[in-house]
Amino acid sequence: MNQIKKAGVVGSGTMGAGIVQLLIQNGHPTVMFDINQEAVDRARTGIEARLERLVEKQKISVNELTLAKELLESTTDINAFKDCQLVIEAAPEKIGIKRSIFQQLEEICAEDTILATNTSSLSITEISGQIKKPTRVAGLHFFNPAPIMPLVEVIQGLKTSPEVTETLIDFAKKINKNPVVCKDTPGFIVNRVARPFYNEALRIMNDQVASVEQIDRIMKGAGNFKMGPFELQDLIGIDINFATTKSVHAGFHGEDRFRPHYYQERMVQSGSLGRKTKGGFFSYDE
Amino acid sequence: MTNKAIVIVGGNLLAKELLKSFELNGCSVFLNDFSKAKQIDVVIETTNVDLEQKKLNLQEIESVVSPNTIILSTTLQVTATEAASWLRYPERLIGFATFSNFSEGKVIEVAAALQSDTGLLSNVKETFGAINQEVEVVEDEVGLVYPRILSLIINEAAFALTEGTANAKDIDTAMKQGTNYPLGPLEWAERIGIDDVYAVLIGLHKQFGEERYRPAPLIKKLVQAGWTGGESEKGFHHYQNRRVKEFSI
Repeated sequence: MNQIKKAGVVGSGTMGAGIVQLLIQNGHPTVMFDINQEAVDRARTGIEARLERLVEKQKISVNELTLAKELLESTTDINAFKDCQLVIEAAPEKIGIKRSIFQQLEEICAEDTILATNTSSLSITEISGQIKKPTRVAGLHFFNPAPIMPLVEVIQGLKTSPEVTETLIDFAKKINKNPVVCKDTPGFIVNRVARPFYNEALRIMNDQVASVEQIDRIMKGAGNFKMGPFELQDLIGIDINFATTKSVHAGFHGEDRFRPHYYQERMVQSGSLGRKTKGGFFSYDE
Repeated sequence: MTNKAIVIVGGNLLAKELLKSFELNGCSVFLNDFSKAKQIDVVIETTNVDLEQKKLNLQEIESVVSPNTIILSTTLQVTATEAASWLRYPERLIGFATFSNFSEGKVIEVAAALQSDTGLLSNVKETFGAINQEVEVVEDEVGLVYPRILSLIINEAAFALTEGTANAKDIDTAMKQGTNYPLGPLEWAERIGIDDVYAVLIGLHKQFGEERYRPAPLIKKLVQAGWTGGESEKGFHHYQNRRVKEFSI
């Protein structure tokens, strides 16, 4: 079985940087790549600051901090992935960008390097479609914030080999995550099964059955959900939530169960996107 | 605390849990028995899947209690308005919706039928207050809020299981750890009774006439087989393991 000694991450945005932090915190030498130096430097500073805060909170030791920093190699040269046994792509959710990255990776990396994508909305099979050896491509879907959320979805494209799936399951366990295995279906498990939590809440609210406040109170008070569907949309970003629903709906070719609600689109159009705009379904003025 | 006499009518998990809960809280409560109390103040009818039975139950209740006895009726498959339409004195019916593990939470939803005397709502609040449940009054619609949203989440999990997207355990783990649900949807369904979840789904499907609410065929089959979780100890997991065994011979 493929031993993963060194890992690489493509992209230094929220998810990319989160995955990098997770890997170095768990003792894995990691290459972080992004196309411009400024982005890479910003991500590195952010990761180091978060690790330092963990030292202050006594969650990790000073030694662990020093080691983690040493394990991180940040670069704008994609060739730095050549000695990685696993590369996790966390670039923007555009099929063209992802395909071009995978084509570069298959040129640069060894033949048995596993090429994984952290996509939450695209099909693994589609991303690997033009790759010479699609058996080595799989999904490795982390949840935000990656260092904290315990789940990883290991997604098998139509051609992913069982060995690659096994290696990723083992790797996920080594970095202290709980892997679940799923097929390459729209939204995988979490983003699919969670759709009604938001979508039906919107429908119930818009049909005047209950108010936003009431629905959140009921789901927490009767169902023991930690957050109500509306405060959770505000936290995630209503635009992000709407985009996920649209993508799952499109992935199922318009299946009615996933039809987005026009009210959610109105919220996005209004610019009230949730906490990040200080207002969404609830107001967050200081 | 209430000193009202309550009769619960029904044979599902919810009926049994309501009985247990009212008893624990020192109430005078009886299951499917009108002969023990001299005057009955509240009757709670909980049948959800078999609507013919529900209708018979409600009409029988009406024939043995006085015209001003409050009848609380579950609105999992039908609205309170539809249930009230089966009565001679529809104004005394109030709808409510919850599942059998309600005692793990603190809120029960209540809805007045269009025909209801809304003055009865304070009485209903007091009744559920006796089992430490707050009341949220919402508009009358099939499944109200929590049973409706949860049933659709369970329905989607059942579709995903049917398609082999993942196994039952992984679907449950994913929802607990990827988005912080208190229980996985499939284990949740087995705990509250897959039959009551099915009742909500067929009720919504009929009420709105939309494909969106179509029950997963797997849920329908489990109900037909009697593999509805709860006391039967058979449900999604049993179904899946049975298949695995069959194919691994």
